Amino acid sequence: MVGSSWRDGLRRIAAAPALTAGVYFITLLAALPLALSLREALQDHLGSSLAAGDTADGVNYDWWQEFSSQASGIGTTFTPTIIGFATTLDSISGLLDRRTLITPIAWTLGIYLAAWMFVTGGILDRYARGRRLGAFAFFAACGTFFFRFIRLGMAAGLTYWFLFTYVHDWLFARWYVNVTRDVPVEPTVFYWRVLMYAIFTALVAAATLAFDYAKVRAVVEDRRSMTGALIAALRFIVRNPSRVIGLYAINAALFLAVVAVWALINQGAGGAGVWMWTGVAVSQGYILARLVVKLQVLASETALFQRSLAHWGYIAAPAAVRPAPPIVETL
Amino acid sequence: MRSTSALSAIATAFVLSAALDGSQKFDQPAQGARSPRNANYEIDVRLEPRDRMLHGRERIRWRNISANPTGELQFHLYWNAWRNAESTWLRERRLGGNTTTPRPDAWASTDIKALRVTLDRSYDLASSVRFIAPDDGNTADRTVAAVSLPQPIAPNGSVEIDIEWSARIPRPFARTGYIDDYYFFGQWFPKIGVLEDAGWNTHQFHSGTEFYSDYGVYDVRMTVPRGYVVGASGRQVSVTDSSNGTVIHHYHGEDIHDFAWTTSPQFVVLTRTFEHPTLPRVQMRLLLRPDHAGQESRHFDAAAATLRYYGEWFGPYPYENITIVDPAFQSGSGGMEYPTLFTAGTRWIAPSPVLTPESVTIHEAGHQWWYGLVGSNEFEHAWMDEGINQFSEARVDETAFGAQNYLARRYFGGFLPWAFRDIPVKRHVDEGLAGYRAQAESDAEATPSFRYWPSTGGNITYFKTALWLHTLEKWLGWPTLQRAMSTYFETWKFRHPGPDDFFHSLSEAAGRDLTPFFDQAYRGSNTFDYGVQLLTSTPAGTGHFRTTVVVRRFGEATFPVDVLTTFSDGSKKTERWDGLERRSIYRYDTTVRARSVQVDPNRLLMLDVNYTNNSRTLQPRAGEASLKWSLKWMAWLQDVLVTYAWLV
Repeated sequence: MVGSSWRDGLRRIAAAPALTAGVYFITLLAALPLALSLREALQDHLGSSLAAGDTADGVNYDWWQEFSSQASGIGTTFTPTIIGFATTLDSISGLLDRRTLITPIAWTLGIYLAAWMFVTGGILDRYARGRRLGAFAFFAACGTFFFRFIRLGMAAGLTYWFLFTYVHDWLFARWYVNVTRDVPVEPTVFYWRVLMYAIFTALVAAATLAFDYAKVRAVVEDRRSMTGALIAALRFIVRNPSRVIGLYAINAALFLAVVAVWALINQGAGGAGVWMWTGVAVSQGYILARLVVKLQVLASETALFQRSLAHWGYIAAPAAVRPAPPIVETL
Repeated sequence: MRSTSALSAIATAFVLSAALDGSQKFDQPAQGARSPRNANYEIDVRLEPRDRMLHGRERIRWRNISANPTGELQFHLYWNAWRNAESTWLRERRLGGNTTTPRPDAWASTDIKALRVTLDRSYDLASSVRFIAPDDGNTADRTVAAVSLPQPIAPNGSVEIDIEWSARIPRPFARTGYIDDYYFFGQWFPKIGVLEDAGWNTHQFHSGTEFYSDYGVYDVRMTVPRGYVVGASGRQVSVTDSSNGTVIHHYHGEDIHDFAWTTSPQFVVLTRTFEHPTLPRVQMRLLLRPDHAGQESRHFDAAAATLRYYGEWFGPYPYENITIVDPAFQSGSGGMEYPTLFTAGTRWIAPSPVLTPESVTIHEAGHQWWYGLVGSNEFEHAWMDEGINQFSEARVDETAFGAQNYLARRYFGGFLPWAFRDIPVKRHVDEGLAGYRAQAESDAEATPSFRYWPSTGGNITYFKTALWLHTLEKWLGWPTLQRAMSTYFETWKFRHPGPDDFFHSLSEAAGRDLTPFFDQAYRGSNTFDYGVQLLTSTPAGTGHFRTTVVVRRFGEATFPVDVLTTFSDGSKKTERWDGLERRSIYRYDTTVRARSVQVDPNRLLMLDVNYTNNSRTLQPRAGEASLKWSLKWMAWLQDVLVTYAWLV
């Protein structure tokens, strides 16, 4: 059941490439304005300096440090950590270590997550039906479920706020500190840290599971009550723990595989011209792969739910159709 | 010819004044010794691990090597810096931004139980001990004690001082204290101040500076529980097992000005011998933590590189042994120097292309020269040990380990390192250009170090000094600078030089008066910033181009710089600009168009805080470079966004 659901999820993603392309473009569009702003700042700082040559051909760390010393806003995030695999270490470490994001990036993230919340209904609807519906139906489903997911999102927000504030503090600022502050052996302290990460990740993963299946049930069963969807999701998880956890584990392994491949093939600083565009292609390919993993989580969970409680492709809600515009009546 | 004579006269004057300079009149080596040996200690100390206490008894044989008699004695009681929250050390730490309240078990203290002075006879002066605060008048600070003498001690006169004391061991502050069963003891015993010709130089303990003391012989017996390994300054004389479960470790050090020790049952003891065709053999002893097994060669290789290059460049290491202490994790005692012993610093995961632990080891081993052998006053002129040593260390880093020195960042709570193989660390990065640039105007370097702003002083002490020495190296040439530094080392080893003594050595070796440079780099806080203001190259009649170059001094400090204009056929024109005026204009009529212009093209002036503006080209590539790096940054941002999208 788990393996077939996982494969089924991949099939559903493959059958809806427009969705994958869509979420990729959302991710691109979310990041692009700030990237353009940074580009302007970099270009201004380099001006007509010969330092630009080394910077284009490789890394000019001299110039980089000078830029950093004068940077403000998003310029302060322009650090070597943007090179190659460090991006991934930085982003995951930043999330688990609860690093504060600077305001422009926090806003971008907020908008991006809102966009995900909007399209998730349409994505799940498309994956649940397993057949092409067209853009109208997709956006209609997005609209239908968006406000329900906002309600669910409030519960999720509260949960994550609790996890990232109180639980994180308790784990990392109290338990971890108390148990390690007098330990003079680094590996021991490291293992404690790993334990904290494992506990925290497991808690966040549990929360994401619950909210994921709540969304799946909301869409597949056309639920209007998000409280009901959440309770139903928890019931499903409790009754099918091995399947749910097994599937999540396989998806986690897929995530790790994608990250491992990125670690191997990333270009690092790279050079200019074709070499630069090759690097861009590889990095965007990685982002695309990460998004596929994200979609695979949704698709495979949808498949698992449908296989467990109904049948392949079961969905209670009729295909959402966007109402015709008023102009139709005059035609 | 004439100018040569004038320079010779100046140089001679420098040599003479250098020979007469220094802080103490009678600081010549004692007979049969390397140093004056005017502050000699016999110490018996017992560690009580259960109540985290040291109980000690010491006899100081002190000789007045100043030009004047003294009617009092002054002592450092450094551990009283953590006796209360209002000590000068803790006040300054708060001023520097660290407002953490020490843990209840972190506090420390030193209490004198008995003090007797033997002059014509023995005097009990315990009741007359008083605390003084010569730097800031802080009555809550107890890091300097004074006792008035019943009769003055004349120049070259001697005294015996017997002190009985006990000390509460801190949970580490300032690289001294304990964690679990690891102990590191620095500045742990009542230590006599330095009497200079100008009077006592006994500063309070400050959060941003270190120490200053006279040379002597240390004979120390440390009693620790059986099973504890001990490392200490000097050399081991004996280890005596007692019947009460303790062991007495006897160490003896000559011509050193401090004594530190460490003990822990966890240390793994390893030794290796440093051998060199022209330098003395040195026994290297490494006390390694078990969790760092496998890193012993990295420690030894770095220490050996230091003994070799410092020895070849400045002068031989004169002691027969050196002890490298691998400190316990979270002990806060890493990266600290003491005579013939230092603490290194590494991590459990220490990737080979990153110069840790090598750079720390080289730095602290290097302090054996700039601090240990040349005993400058670290309170007042911290740059004379830290800055000169930062420069020297960066030079060894580059010479011995340049091929494996890459930038690294740590993630996941600082445990997981990632080396950026695209970013080799160049020497001026090791010399801290970025740190200096950020705080370039925070203090004039000539300000007494303990008065630097606490949070920024390090950038001046370490980095500005290293950068102006690097500038001198490029300007005068390494052979000249090396000669200056080795002369300075030879002249001032086992003595207390002042800044002018170093400057004199440099001017003497350079054969010219470098005072104008030091006026700016050392005595002032102005910044150096030269740049190109304008470059045009336009057609001016058939087959000719008129090129105009305007270079500008943006900073207030001045330095002579070259201006190099490169033309499209590869030809170059170099102008020498004294750099005094605000700007200088150069015009060229050539048959080809100019391609670029550079101010200070060979980057002599390492102190230039903005090097990007030092060049301009008519074929700019900023668009290409900014596109490349903004796209990389975008991928990072997308990674962040997708990672957080896990939550929706």
